[in-house]
Amino acid sequence: MSAVLEVSNLRKSFGGVAAVNGVSFHVREGEILGIIGPNGSGKSTLFNCVLGQLLPNAGEVRIDGKRTTGMRPCDLNCLGVSRTFQLLQVFPQLSVRDNLILAGQEHQGSMFSRLIGRADAGLGGAADRMIEFFRLSHLTNERAGALSYGQQKLLDAAMAFMAGPLLVLLDEPAGGVNPTMLTHLRERLQAYHAERKATFVVIEHQMEFVMALCTRVLVLAEGCVIAEGAPHDIRRNPIVIEAYLGH
Amino acid sequence: MSRLGATAVMAAAIFAVAAPFFLKPFGIFLISMWAVLTIAAIGLNLTLGYAGQVSLAQGAFVGIGAYTMALLMQAGYPFGLAFIAAGILCFAIGWILGYPALRVQHHYLAFVTLAFTTLVFLVLRNEEWLTNGIYGINGIARPAFLGWSTGRPLNFYFFSLATLAVLSAATWWMLRSPWGRAFVALRENPIRALSLGLDTRRYTLMAFAIGSSLGGLSGALYAPLVQFIDPGSFALGMSFNLLLMVIVGGSGYFFGPFVGALVAVLLPEWMRITQGYYLIVYAALVMVMMVFCPSGILGLIERILKMAFRNGKTATALHAEGLGPEIVP
Repeated sequence: MSAVLEVSNLRKSFGGVAAVNGVSFHVREGEILGIIGPNGSGKSTLFNCVLGQLLPNAGEVRIDGKRTTGMRPCDLNCLGVSRTFQLLQVFPQLSVRDNLILAGQEHQGSMFSRLIGRADAGLGGAADRMIEFFRLSHLTNERAGALSYGQQKLLDAAMAFMAGPLLVLLDEPAGGVNPTMLTHLRERLQAYHAERKATFVVIEHQMEFVMALCTRVLVLAEGCVIAEGAPHDIRRNPIVIEAYLGH
Repeated sequence: MSRLGATAVMAAAIFAVAAPFFLKPFGIFLISMWAVLTIAAIGLNLTLGYAGQVSLAQGAFVGIGAYTMALLMQAGYPFGLAFIAAGILCFAIGWILGYPALRVQHHYLAFVTLAFTTLVFLVLRNEEWLTNGIYGINGIARPAFLGWSTGRPLNFYFFSLATLAVLSAATWWMLRSPWGRAFVALRENPIRALSLGLDTRRYTLMAFAIGSSLGGLSGALYAPLVQFIDPGSFALGMSFNLLLMVIVGGSGYFFGPFVGALVAVLLPEWMRITQGYYLIVYAALVMVMMVFCPSGILGLIERILKMAFRNGKTATALHAEGLGPEIVP
């Protein structure tokens, strides 16, 4: 299968600190890659460089074969790259449905056609299906800010899928979510993956979540890749145990 | 819009049409001023209330619109052309003024726009060859359409009211469209909006440009309403007054500017019964209002309605009735 995401020798420094130091990896179509590592290992910086939030000092990012290094996040999204953030990033004053429509509307026609077109940009049905898929139907018209933390996490994830993305990068989707909601979130991600053969990259500290969801795991420490492989191999890898897992 | 909201709007519209028949000429002048300044406040509400871009330049755009109208009419151009020119010119200048907003936010942006207002004031005052300086421009004619003159106060009021209705409807349409959702996203979380494909740069510039354009159109009506304009009318005081209208009415509420302009235009006049103290009383009332309802009068009404309806109803039910935050109408 072809690589949806290719990262080559990526470097990003803040002053004298090399947060990402020559990282290279690729993600194949339909794969779920987990990225783990201790705090400060450069996971989020890596994500931000891939997603255009930060400009890398060196290296290259290719998405679906196209060089995207330094592209703006909105242009990357239009190429089919979607993401969630470590901290909750929904629009609290908008309803659940409007959050989802917003997440997909920029892919519908031109800016001018959206002004004169339908209020829901023709995404009302798709938003309702997504709401149903993530089992949020009872909250459709609720303000996103009034939802519980776990429900907002689900909504955040659902928003990342609204535009039918080629690649989804999930930054700590399980952070702060209770075990019941976590199982629900994992099930939904697995169901979406099974249904659409979507490609995910997931940063996560919750090891059970990573092991159950990911098909391959990359381990970062001090800005470098220290191991890569199948989840059960990573779990037994002595370098990873010493640097991150600890036991 | 909920049934309750639609009824309230209908009642307000009937009141707006009937009111001038019970008023003296000065009263009609005041409600005409309300209609004209509401247009500028709608523009500022779009820029500030919806898109979250702080602007202290709206008064300057009213000035640019007013001078464009006065100068073009003096040069013999028809009202319609001058009106459109005022809107287009302010759209273009507003677009350019939006560029600093791409780099600075909040109080820093407020200072950028404040500096722009001062700049416009200085140009209007010092460039006498164009604006007649401190002497201003006198005798600005009111337009006539197919033999119907707006020279009489009542006629000009209805003309202003009709213009307000058309521009409000256009703004309502825009805020109901995906643009309205994008403006709210810009205000609430620009980083997330960017990651969802929203070209925040273009939407920010558009919010500034459209808001400024509405300021210019308001100015284009302001000039024939007062029939005399001078630079002092469009100094910082005007921008602060428009900001007051948006905040007092309810920033981010579609009808906030209508209510806010009513307070800012009419309340000082009603307070004249206190004679020399009227501005002191007015200022004190505004301060009390801001302490007890920081989300503006419409925010306060919403809170009261929510409390009244809370018995046995969920937030979802309240929202379905239009009592949730009306950010996107």
